[in-house]
Amino acid sequence: MEQRRGIGEDWLAFWLGLLVFLIALGPLAGIDLLGWAVRTKVWTDIGQALSPVAGSYSLGGFSALLLTYVFLVALLTAGAWLLKAKIRRFVAAFTVVFWVSYICWILGSYANIAVNTPADMQKFGVTWSLRLTGEAGYIIALIAGLVVGNLFPRFATWLAEGTRTELYIKIAIVLLGAKVGVIAAEKLSLATVVMFRGLAAIIEAYLIYWAIVYFIARKYFKFSREWAAPLASGISICGVSAAMATGAAIRARPVVPIMVSSLVVIFAVVELLILPFLAQAFLSHEPMVAGAWMGLAVKTDGAAVAAGAITESLILSSAAAEGVKYQTGWILGTTTTIKVFIDIFIGIWAFILAYIWATHIDAKKGTKVRATEIWERFPKFVIGYIVTFVLLLAIGIGASPTLMKTLNAATAESDNFRQIFFVMTFFSIGAISNFRKLWEEGIGRLAAVYVVSLFGFVIWIGLVISWIFFAGVKPPLAAG
Amino acid sequence: MAKRPQSQVKKEMQKMPYEPLLKIEKSLILWSLGIGAVLMVILIWVSYAFFPGS
Repeated sequence: MEQRRGIGEDWLAFWLGLLVFLIALGPLAGIDLLGWAVRTKVWTDIGQALSPVAGSYSLGGFSALLLTYVFLVALLTAGAWLLKAKIRRFVAAFTVVFWVSYICWILGSYANIAVNTPADMQKFGVTWSLRLTGEAGYIIALIAGLVVGNLFPRFATWLAEGTRTELYIKIAIVLLGAKVGVIAAEKLSLATVVMFRGLAAIIEAYLIYWAIVYFIARKYFKFSREWAAPLASGISICGVSAAMATGAAIRARPVVPIMVSSLVVIFAVVELLILPFLAQAFLSHEPMVAGAWMGLAVKTDGAAVAAGAITESLILSSAAAEGVKYQTGWILGTTTTIKVFIDIFIGIWAFILAYIWATHIDAKKGTKVRATEIWERFPKFVIGYIVTFVLLLAIGIGASPTLMKTLNAATAESDNFRQIFFVMTFFSIGAISNFRKLWEEGIGRLAAVYVVSLFGFVIWIGLVISWIFFAGVKPPLAAG
Repeated sequence: MAKRPQSQVKKEMQKMPYEPLLKIEKSLILWSLGIGAVLMVILIWVSYAFFPGS
């Protein structure tokens, strides 16, 4: 949840993401400052699972893991201080979140779970595999989080200071900008296509989704305007952030977007557990459609980008089994591009609603809408994504092969931290998702409109829009 | 996350007033869908004409 005390999670994600990104750029100046960070490889012998991300560091795997923990706990504790969070509680909770998440990440890289090609099965000496790639660790972390959140609610409450889903995913998105920038520089025309078509897809999604959900909530479920508007934004646009922004725009009581948000998180987890596997089953030959679909259909930044990551690993795995090796990053990049555009538009949409409410619906209150409200509601971490993306795109366009190799090495290090923030996001999403909420007295009417809208048409319209704009667009094949 | 009494959702649902759709709300819905339909045609044309996927 966004905290309004202190610096705010959006700006904090911007600064922390940018800091890690800048440190990772060391190789451009001939110094490797993050090469010691831990990397997990596919393993059958646990002793071989961990190593430093850069071969130039001669550290043991566990030492690299310990250093990574120390770095992150220092970095995020400084962040917690800026957020004015409870520092001791944060350090303790973060420690649990980090270690549980990382253990899940290591388990996900076990050969029988992760390897996805016959050649790799032979290499690791295994006769069967779930073919989920190393990113199966995300699913394991989500399940571990769900176990904590639903079977050990007191422990989940104790962990709350460290299960900061939105902070982790926003830092990860800032770091992801660097990776997407480098791969976009290598295939600029395809990146331009993804960006334009992503923009087109979200314009359509905003205009169609919101209007239909609002109409259904008002006409058939008899919700008041105060409830219907945040509900429509939560279900149709981008979950928690949109519900909160809309609630503020129409001057709804705080309890309204909070209740809507609690449902958004629960259903986002359901989507996260189902949609990537549906995408693998039916869209493995249209990878970019699948990536766009996750961005349009799965609500909340964390769950959507997480769904994009799982979808990418599942589809790349299916493709690899058929002998097609796509370059990594494009499916997840498409999901993220769509999500970032959606986030950017939240402020504009909230402004439009605020204007209509202030001038036509609640006109008697005499409230005026300032254009600066668009900026106030702008998700600031998006600036971090744009900075890292544009900077590496600018450096990468026309770069020599040597410079491109250095850029790839630098982004491999920042991307390594992106994966760690991802896995902590998955665990945190699970830990904050309390499914018992669905049994709460009176929730039925809210949940009904959510289920009807989400599973009745939001997911399917998202699929149609994704298909219209991304069918036939394929990620480049990986070199070698 | 703040704890709420179990019955708060129910209370909120019960006290929710009935508000018929205003003309401005109908306009918002129709304009949104109308612009969406028109833009769909334009954006598909621009996408396939100027940003071909393959």
